[in-house]
Amino acid sequence: MTSAPTPSTPTDLIDRLIPLAPGRSTWQIRHERPKVVEATQGSYEALFSPAVEGLTVTERLLVALHACRIGRADAFGDHYRERLLAEDAEASLVDTVDRGEIASLRDPRLACLLGFTATLMRRPLDGDRAAVQALRDAGLSTPAIVALAQLVAFLSYQVRLAAGLKAMSDAEVAA
Amino acid sequence: MTAPIRIQGFTTEVLRWQPWLEGVALDSATPEQLAALDAMSPQARSSPYFLLLAHQPEILLQRSIAFNAIMFAPGGMPRAERELGATVESRLNGCVYCASVHAQRFQQLARRSDVIEQVFEEPGSAGTTPREQAIVRFSMRLAEKPDEVSAEDIRALREVGLAEQEILDLIHSVALFAWANRLMLNLGEPIFPEDSASEAAGA
Repeated sequence: MTSAPTPSTPTDLIDRLIPLAPGRSTWQIRHERPKVVEATQGSYEALFSPAVEGLTVTERLLVALHACRIGRADAFGDHYRERLLAEDAEASLVDTVDRGEIASLRDPRLACLLGFTATLMRRPLDGDRAAVQALRDAGLSTPAIVALAQLVAFLSYQVRLAAGLKAMSDAEVAA
Repeated sequence: MTAPIRIQGFTTEVLRWQPWLEGVALDSATPEQLAALDAMSPQARSSPYFLLLAHQPEILLQRSIAFNAIMFAPGGMPRAERELGATVESRLNGCVYCASVHAQRFQQLARRSDVIEQVFEEPGSAGTTPREQAIVRFSMRLAEKPDEVSAEDIRALREVGLAEQEILDLIHSVALFAWANRLMLNLGEPIFPEDSASEAAGA
């Protein structure tokens, strides 16, 4: 038996991955802030849009996979992994990033992107001007660096929003 | 006007922020870039931070909509408490600039500074009422160990009287500043008033 997607948010990633379904009180409460729901989904779509120049979609998905493994957000890590495989990313490369074996990457540009990602996820205070310069030296334009920083910063938001909503949903069941 | 708070490297002084990369020049900005700036705030066109983010206008536009809806939407958690959640996240991440801006907004909305001093000094024990302590504690959990946040943490908020919509607003605010702090900390740096005495005083 399949249930029809809800008309208002047919593909909302956070609702799908937690999961939150209409009829549940946490879903209801979340959707009482519709602008936040829409702009969260809108941010996700904008950050992975092919229209963003300077970083390939595959590079952005590898950043997201690495970030979610660091953040221990399993459902999101699995989602980005699936998207990578659907994009025909090289499976051995996806596995290497999935395991966090960044030191063994042969592509210095990708290693630089993922190093920046790890710092931002773990301890953003450690980021500095030299890290931005390293991205420039790896060939990233200013718009590409802005996109990368926005992406990792958004993933930090996505991980926390989902964790909070999941806890609300669990508290609902246990109430 | 009371004297600004300065504790543990954090402050309620008005700071400026300087990017490490060139922002978009206003006179060559595209209509899409201008629309994204205007969606954020009437002042965004003169902000080095938002002019830098305008290099990716669609991403800035979506973030602006989320930001304003989370921090300013009517109903739910009082705005001062949303600012408190934002200040705790910024304090823990070491984002002196964000902590300054949002501590000031808390002061303006709540007309007091006691809990801000406590958060700057030692967030782990901050809070002037059981409700405020629970808000600070939850903000710390979500900031530092999002993968360990559980139903028990939600129940602790309910026990001090938070409604479900208020809990959601707090989650949104803390998560939003996990986002904002990372941009502020990694694309530029704060400038303190004494560093910029020769430039527009009090800017």
